[in-house]
Amino acid sequence: MNLAWTRQRLPIAIGAAVVATVLSFVSAATTKEGVALSIAFDVAIACLTALTQVGFKANHPVVARAALTLLGLDVAIFITFFLGSSANFNLATGAAMSIVLLGLSFLTGASGQISLGNGAFMGVGAFVMAIWANHHATTPIFVTLLIAVVCGAVVGLLLGLPATRLRGPYLAGMTLAFAVAFIFILSSFSSWTGGDSGLQLPTQATAPRWLLGLFHAGTAPLTTTTLYLTDVAIVVAGVAFFFMANLFASRVGRSMRLIRDNDVAAELVGISLPRARVVAFIVSSAYAALGGALFTLINNAVSPSTYSFALSVTILSLIVIGGIGTISGALIGGIIYAFSANVITWITTQTGLNPQGNLASQLNGIIFGGLLILTMLFAPHGIAGAVRHLWQRVRSRSLG
Amino acid sequence: MDPFLTSRIVSDILTGLTNGVIFGMVALSLVLIWRSTGILNFAQGAMPMFATYVGFALLSYHWGYWPCVVACVIAGLLLGGLTERLLVRGLYGKPEINPIVVMVGFLIVLEAVAASIWSSTPRSLPSPFSSFDWHLGGKPLSLSPFTVYEIATALIVMAAVAALFRFTKLGLQLRASALAPEVSRLLGVRVGRLLTLGWMLATVVGVITTILVSGGFFSGLTPQVMDGIFAYGFIAAAIGGLESPVGAIVAGVVLGIVNQFVDDFVNQNAVIIIALVILIVSLMIRPSGVFAKSVQRRV
Repeated sequence: MNLAWTRQRLPIAIGAAVVATVLSFVSAATTKEGVALSIAFDVAIACLTALTQVGFKANHPVVARAALTLLGLDVAIFITFFLGSSANFNLATGAAMSIVLLGLSFLTGASGQISLGNGAFMGVGAFVMAIWANHHATTPIFVTLLIAVVCGAVVGLLLGLPATRLRGPYLAGMTLAFAVAFIFILSSFSSWTGGDSGLQLPTQATAPRWLLGLFHAGTAPLTTTTLYLTDVAIVVAGVAFFFMANLFASRVGRSMRLIRDNDVAAELVGISLPRARVVAFIVSSAYAALGGALFTLINNAVSPSTYSFALSVTILSLIVIGGIGTISGALIGGIIYAFSANVITWITTQTGLNPQGNLASQLNGIIFGGLLILTMLFAPHGIAGAVRHLWQRVRSRSLG
Repeated sequence: MDPFLTSRIVSDILTGLTNGVIFGMVALSLVLIWRSTGILNFAQGAMPMFATYVGFALLSYHWGYWPCVVACVIAGLLLGGLTERLLVRGLYGKPEINPIVVMVGFLIVLEAVAASIWSSTPRSLPSPFSSFDWHLGGKPLSLSPFTVYEIATALIVMAAVAALFRFTKLGLQLRASALAPEVSRLLGVRVGRLLTLGWMLATVVGVITTILVSGGFFSGLTPQVMDGIFAYGFIAAAIGGLESPVGAIVAGVVLGIVNQFVDDFVNQNAVIIIALVILIVSLMIRPSGVFAKSVQRRV
């Protein structure tokens, strides 16, 4: 940013905000829509103003992250209003998945461990959500989500205890065994988990009336519910990203990166290896449980077949392709997940494959598995790493 | 006739032994690769599955059982060697998550490609021996000609691997290149070639396991046939210690028998849960396995 822009930033921002407010009230059909539109524009302008200030990120890192999160949420929620039900549903699953990916990215990126069982941890959250909602239908959804997160963290602690002494492949194999065992664990408690058919939520979560009046006026009831659930998923994902960004930058995050790069050095400067490893594992399973609970909320039901070993493998593929160990990688992976089904259907129709044929039904696995191998061999930091690398090259060229 | 041989306990032990040698073979193939290349091969179930499909595709050309088995073994040798040369070679010395991720990717690709060529409906393989249990005094003994064939084959394979490592010059070279690759190279051992050979060997052990598993009366060959067995094989290898072939086999057999008792006296769902608990407890007590000597890490 050049100096002139820095000096005149505030008046320009205020001017833009006034113009945006006036325009949104003029163009909107009702006053409520006008209020909603002007909130969306003004929040975006305020965040951009703060973020473009020179030195703001360095001086107020937490506020800067909050502003970036708010900007992302603002834009994402704004977009959901213009999408149809099915696109919104995809976006919601993508947002939930990105939370799970964030947890795995933290585990691997921060402490160098790997888990092949995050699909099962998602299942823990998903089933706790459904079971709790069936027994206590009046609990607000955000409280139920928190309960699911806590349960995920407790299971993570139980499985993470041996992780304190394990290195790489042992932990991966143990979490794989958990992922394979999870469906059988569910069947063992079939009186709670509903056996093979799973559980339905007793009531579909709907938007509170004040929110409905402000944001969702004029849309059909069915669309409203999808829209509301999508926005809930996006907001929860935003909060999760905000927390994770701070955790990555905090003392805990830094000490974990030291463990990843050199565990002996980490021990010598007084970091407790077992504790750091188990904390990383708990954080990742709690995040997975949160994503799973959102899955239940979005689908209004939960089925045990969703949480098979294949899901854990999908999670691993997505985060590796997106960029393991990075925050933006989780976002990229979530977006890929949201629209992968559409892309694969598109490929099937373009190539003229028989949609019921063997090849078409396995295309998902072939593409994801192939991308997983290629990414790890040629770009181990995924899309996020490749983009960052390109960006640095462009910048160094333009500077020098 | 002696009622003891058909009692519940003996029949559980016999059934458990049959499953146990299978787990032991999977564990053995994992240990072979781990010891020579320091990689835990997550595609150790899928690679043999693929080779078995390729070999038994010859059934449609009216080949018999034994020629098909030979074809499977050749396919396994090729697949194992090519995988090491093309996929794994670049991964040595990389962070330990890289080979894990690549082999998981390979697992997905192999299963998906196998399902797209041969579909995922179970394919029953011809069996050279009957799968029906012998009867003693009117009661079934939990042994059939096929299970005897399974156990005998497993024992022969294990003995052959042991003999290869202990008594042949090739085995000595394999051990040397796993233990001290640099020194072996200086002494004229072709380490690169031997690593390839190690992968080929492990894949063949896997192929024989897969043929035994999917030849049974109740199973049949599917792309996912080895998924669950791989999990048990890994549990056995981890309990026994990834460094120890004998430990892996013993742990596999014990795990098979324990599983059968849990299946019989508790229920079927509890089997993998109990196995998981055993794994966690044993890893907490002895992180590098029951049979492994503790190794000091060099800094």
